[in-house]
Amino acid sequence: MTAHHSILLKNIRQPDQHTLAGAESRGAYSTIKKALQIDPLKVIEEVKTSGIRGRGGAGFPTGMKWSFVPRNSGKPVYLINNADESEPGTFKDRLLLENDPHLIIEGMLIAAWALQSNWSCIYIRGEYGYPFSRAKKAIEEAYAKGYLGKNIFGSNFNHDMVIHRGAGAYICGEESALMESLEGKKGQPRMKPPFPAVSGLYQCPTVINNVETLANMPFIIENGGKAFLSIGVEKSSGTKLVSASGHINKPGVYEIDMGYPMKRFIEEECGGIWQGRKLKAVIPGGSSVNIMTAPEIEKVNMDYESLRLAGSSLGCAGFMVLDETTDMVEAVLNLAHFYAHESCGQCTPCREGGHWIEKIFTRISRGQGLPGDIPLIENVCAQIGGHTICAFGDTMILPYLSIIKKFPEEFKERIGEAIRGQVKPREYLNVVYDGAH
Amino acid sequence: MSGTNGTQTELVTLTIDGKVVRAAKGSTIIQAATAAGIEVPFYCYHPHLSIPANCRICQVKVKNAPKLMVACHTQVAEGMEVNTHHTSPEVQAAQAATLEFILINHPLDCTVCDQAGHCKLQDYHFEYNAKPSRFIENKVHKVKAEPLGPTVMLDGERCIMCTRCIRFCDEITETSEIGMLNRGDRSVITVNPKKPLDNALSGTVVDLCPVGALTHAKWRFNTRIWFTKQTDSICPGCSTGCNVKVAERDGEIVQVKARLNDKVNKEWLCDEGRYGFMRFLPKHRIVTPHIGGKAAELNAALLEASKLKGQAALVLVSPDLTLEEFSVLKNLVDKTLKGAQVALAYRERPLSKVEKILVSPDYAANFRGAEFAGLVSGNLEESYAAALQKLRSGAVQQLLLVGERSIPLPDQDPALIEGIKKAAVSVGILTDAGSAVAGALKVVLPGRSILEKSGLLVNRNLRLQYTDRVVPFPDGSEPEWRMLGRLAEKMGAKLTSAEDERALTLSYLSATKQLSGVTIRQIKADGVCLKSLNAATSTAGSQTGAAQWS
Repeated sequence: MTAHHSILLKNIRQPDQHTLAGAESRGAYSTIKKALQIDPLKVIEEVKTSGIRGRGGAGFPTGMKWSFVPRNSGKPVYLINNADESEPGTFKDRLLLENDPHLIIEGMLIAAWALQSNWSCIYIRGEYGYPFSRAKKAIEEAYAKGYLGKNIFGSNFNHDMVIHRGAGAYICGEESALMESLEGKKGQPRMKPPFPAVSGLYQCPTVINNVETLANMPFIIENGGKAFLSIGVEKSSGTKLVSASGHINKPGVYEIDMGYPMKRFIEEECGGIWQGRKLKAVIPGGSSVNIMTAPEIEKVNMDYESLRLAGSSLGCAGFMVLDETTDMVEAVLNLAHFYAHESCGQCTPCREGGHWIEKIFTRISRGQGLPGDIPLIENVCAQIGGHTICAFGDTMILPYLSIIKKFPEEFKERIGEAIRGQVKPREYLNVVYDGAH
Repeated sequence: MSGTNGTQTELVTLTIDGKVVRAAKGSTIIQAATAAGIEVPFYCYHPHLSIPANCRICQVKVKNAPKLMVACHTQVAEGMEVNTHHTSPEVQAAQAATLEFILINHPLDCTVCDQAGHCKLQDYHFEYNAKPSRFIENKVHKVKAEPLGPTVMLDGERCIMCTRCIRFCDEITETSEIGMLNRGDRSVITVNPKKPLDNALSGTVVDLCPVGALTHAKWRFNTRIWFTKQTDSICPGCSTGCNVKVAERDGEIVQVKARLNDKVNKEWLCDEGRYGFMRFLPKHRIVTPHIGGKAAELNAALLEASKLKGQAALVLVSPDLTLEEFSVLKNLVDKTLKGAQVALAYRERPLSKVEKILVSPDYAANFRGAEFAGLVSGNLEESYAAALQKLRSGAVQQLLLVGERSIPLPDQDPALIEGIKKAAVSVGILTDAGSAVAGALKVVLPGRSILEKSGLLVNRNLRLQYTDRVVPFPDGSEPEWRMLGRLAEKMGAKLTSAEDERALTLSYLSATKQLSGVTIRQIKADGVCLKSLNAATSTAGSQTGAAQWS
């Protein structure tokens, strides 16, 4: 097994790492003390040098995002840590929040200093009860020790941090919906522009970063942007937490250097496909990306650029492995059900189209498919993608279209059975999606 | 929408469908297109509400943009090249798809829907899609008849989630009664059970609803809109002068809708004005002249009325006469009742917070018109109260009432009736035979309600607008100006040679120096501001000529 760099999961197995005493004994809050001596703009420069890209899925350069925030606008700058980890197949932030919350808090403090923000918020997924209590405890400990609040480390820098639980909506991981939710409104994305860096939470400049992105900050400031840049590959620097799940022998969260070969990752880190079966497909970046077939992953590396060139996306690295027995009709129905259920209902194509597609897939899965169903789905998808307010509509069609395109025979077979009246009972199907919620 | 505000705005040049268009910097594509006469369809957009861009029907192609842009939200830029559905097949496809999406869960109950015939979903579907749906699955079912409050009913299945009603209550009335529940295609519009939609402008949400999801509890299922006669008019409820569209069928008003006028009422209308529109029509109609409570010939009644003498006379005037009528009355007072005391029925009342958004505190639709005609001036409320006090005291010997609303409802005020009875000569041009005032007068002449007249009104902010007759008038009734003219003839004076209302309006415009060059078309568009006119005419010099209808 290759020795990867360990930036984020270095101390994750220490039983007392979630406590302030434990974390501090391993160096937590040592970097922020140094950072507070550096000019905030230099901190941003360092982050730019590191080349770190947002770990939430879009992969936008973090340093550039920070530099968009207007200085001296007369308004407060808000920092939001997006811990609304809801992408199907993703559970990396959960691990950090549960086992190393002080790493995140320190990262947020560094970001806050760079942005000169006096208030930040961890917006945590509603279902994350245990991570919430751990992170909340960590904030309380940091306050008690004076690491949060007024005059942090004698620097005259004040910073308040709160943690806020979502109410169980996938869309609240989208930054503008998150801000709406934080303002006490229904979690629905806003039209852009204006972008959050100019007009975000309560119409003030706001930076929203993923948990993993912020957790990298202590390393970047401690060791310098160049050290971070030297890890990984050219346009994707650093390490990446991968939430590996599905039909593999060793599912879990792995920290790998960017650019690591995917095939090797499955065989070595993940321990290969379970029960000695063969690989059928991989969804590499959380469900909202194009699926990849077994031949397609042979030579691909796990970094932003390689996966983009291979026709998919690293996303937030919710790495789902499907073995040869997987019924792709049921797999896509599962996703369609998720997206239909989570569509916020604000704009027409996603609200109506998402459910329409779910209903067609349901019909096909039940053996009631019609010959024109696949072209219809493709046409409806084309009218959802690119026509919605947020990226939800753009990305939900990616798995649908790629699964239909890459496994057409399975859909053909199922629809063909329906047309011939040969609907076979499928015993393994223990969940029935009937469209009612 | 011809914006003639004096401030210099920076303009940018762009092309829409190849047409070169100049638009203010910071304005949106939809505004630029509308101003250039290019129609871009929309549901959720409203010029006076925030822009959620959720309906997606206004998508247009902008050159070099990676995807279609929504015209309601995208700001114009120098050199921008925009293609709408007129020139872009891609946009046409997106619009057709949007309509197909909207119709997935929209019930096809047009046959029983009040909105049918003036429904934007129907219109756009036929214009931009007009294909049968490919949707063969089951539709989502939602609440069909939920009262949101005392005035508005919701049909959840018809709702297309444009959120105009929500935004109106959030941003304009700031009462926030309406909200959205649930997600995806289960989303429904609803109100908090403990806080129903019950504000002074509640009916406006029905106007804003582009489909038949919100309907008036008062007018549901009472007629199909194509059986009605619809007239663009002005609400006479107060001096705000809200622009309305009134649907009338068989003499009954079956629906009142606000019309968009950026300068006056945006597209809002108060419930008192909307649901109380019929109150301007009398319950018991006066159709024949009366002398001493008995029906009489018009000639005899006019002769009796002509005994009015100038010096001691008190003339009480209804505030909802037209500007032309005020001018005729002024003429009458000057020529035959010189020295008479004229008072306009002007009263104010306290307004609630929501009412203040739109409603004026008076009940006097055209008091500014009376001032403009030179009939009254000064503190109208005080002089009217003083005139009524004089009448109550029995000191008035000569009394002329012009218009039903010249005197307050008398039931609580027996002293007023006694005062009227004490007058030696008392004449009223009225409409309602049921009122005690009509019984107390010596001579009663039949008049018309403001809803039965056409003419000019001046609103509180000195905007000259045109009100059109919304219901037919009964035989035998005469507009006040004609009755005043006949009365003046008996007293030896000629007031106007106009034959009908149009001629009267034109002759008034021609004769009024300040209004020279103003056309009816201008007035009908969104009104003419008399304030700006005063400044303009002073430089225009002696440029007078006969007024034109268009």
